[in-house]
Amino acid sequence: MGRLEGKVAFVTASGGAIAGATARLFGAEGAAVCCVDIVEENVNQTAADINAAGCKAFALTCDVTNDDAVKAAVDKTVTEYGKLDVCFNAAAYSEKRHRLADMPVDMWKSVIDVNLTGMFIVARHVIPQMQAAGGGSIINVSSIYGVVGAKERPAYCAAKGGVRMLSKSIAVDYAVDNIRANSIMPGPIETPRLLARNPSIEAIIERHGPRLHQKRLGKPEEIAQTALFLASDDASFTSGADMVVDAAYTAF
Amino acid sequence: MGRLEEKVAFVTAAGGAIAGATARLFAAEGAAVACVDIVEENVKKTASDIEAAGGKAIAIVCDVNDEEAVKAAIDQTVSAFGKLNVVFNAAAFTDPLLPLHELDVDLWRKTFDVNITGMFIVTKYAIPHMLNAGSGSFINISSIYGARAAKKRPAYCSSKGAVRMLSKSVAVDYAEHNIRANSILPGPIETPRLLVANKNMDDVINRHRPHLPAARLGQPEEIAKTAVFLASDESSFMSGNDCFVDGAYNAI
Repeated sequence: MGRLEGKVAFVTASGGAIAGATARLFGAEGAAVCCVDIVEENVNQTAADINAAGCKAFALTCDVTNDDAVKAAVDKTVTEYGKLDVCFNAAAYSEKRHRLADMPVDMWKSVIDVNLTGMFIVARHVIPQMQAAGGGSIINVSSIYGVVGAKERPAYCAAKGGVRMLSKSIAVDYAVDNIRANSIMPGPIETPRLLARNPSIEAIIERHGPRLHQKRLGKPEEIAQTALFLASDDASFTSGADMVVDAAYTAF
Repeated sequence: MGRLEEKVAFVTAAGGAIAGATARLFAAEGAAVACVDIVEENVKKTASDIEAAGGKAIAIVCDVNDEEAVKAAIDQTVSAFGKLNVVFNAAAFTDPLLPLHELDVDLWRKTFDVNITGMFIVTKYAIPHMLNAGSGSFINISSIYGARAAKKRPAYCSSKGAVRMLSKSVAVDYAEHNIRANSILPGPIETPRLLVANKNMDDVINRHRPHLPAARLGQPEEIAKTAVFLASDESSFMSGNDCFVDGAYNAI
């Protein structure tokens, strides 16, 4: 018996490493998963992997900043699986490194749009479905950079801090509807996206210095396990919480 | 296959509601559990419940503030089960409601002795066994009152704030040895102890408005489920975190 048996999950950015691992784990734990991403090839692969493992999933290509497209994607999920219980919001975009005064306004806007406004738009359409289902769990991926600053990433830090408070706002307003909302703050996670911005894993570990106490990066699966806990009824009294998954990075 | 199969857990205050539920759930997930409490009758009941359900447990009567007794209790656990992987630190003293200038120094000391010095002592003697085992997980019970103040509870709030930082300190110092430490910050939980100080649960809920947006108290089992997640390898990249389990209490 899986820990998400009978649940339907909507997972954004599931063509990526973290949300992809989460979608696969949700599927393996019995959820029917709608895999959403802006990149068709990647999201098709995640859904195909889940199906190949004998679990339920389908892929949707969707830009989370497009209100109509998100509404259609949520509607399609409900048409396909009858309801929606869990939403894993992971679509994110980071600017190239700039200090604030050097950052063009368009660059700022595009980061806020994907990281924060996209999350608002997804939440806005999944909440009525969760109300109809009698409850739900929204899991928003923030970052340790929603808690502490990163150098030369003002928009990313601001957006990820916004994600924390968006989760708390939803938690407070929709507790009466049995809808929970929590944030996950991952530390540095070993993803192709992180590797693309850096020469090597060793260089990343070196750059983070003494805060990476174990001299290792996190695995996408370690975020997925936290998401599974939050998605499941095990977390029934956990709402508005910041789940920092960073091996004590921000404790130091 | 349980989520804590092959693990050995040391659970303080296991005669109480929250740690009792945790000890029972740890055992149901496959752990061997040393149930520790200062009240013999209560802790024997928890251990016998576990054994009646087919799980492994021993009961140990111990004052966590007594260094020799704690050392003996941990040695007894390792003698009985061969190792120690998980510690759930929940022993706490509920001080009377008093503003700071009316609080006796003795009551202040007693609160700190049990709530934080006891935790230090248990942790001090558990760590060498976790170093031997190659890994470990500490789960320390703080409180929402370790993050925000309750009225007329200066000693309790201060001690629970100290618990958060003790966890982070252990997380940072022992990460290289694969030992994790996290705090759980429960909101108001429906326990017999809470009922002693209040007429009924509705009074408790009303008194906490607007901080309990779901208008219900938590159940001991909801803390226990969070503890299972933190005790298990599912939370392998999670350390130094404050896990609020409070129904969004602290989000408002």
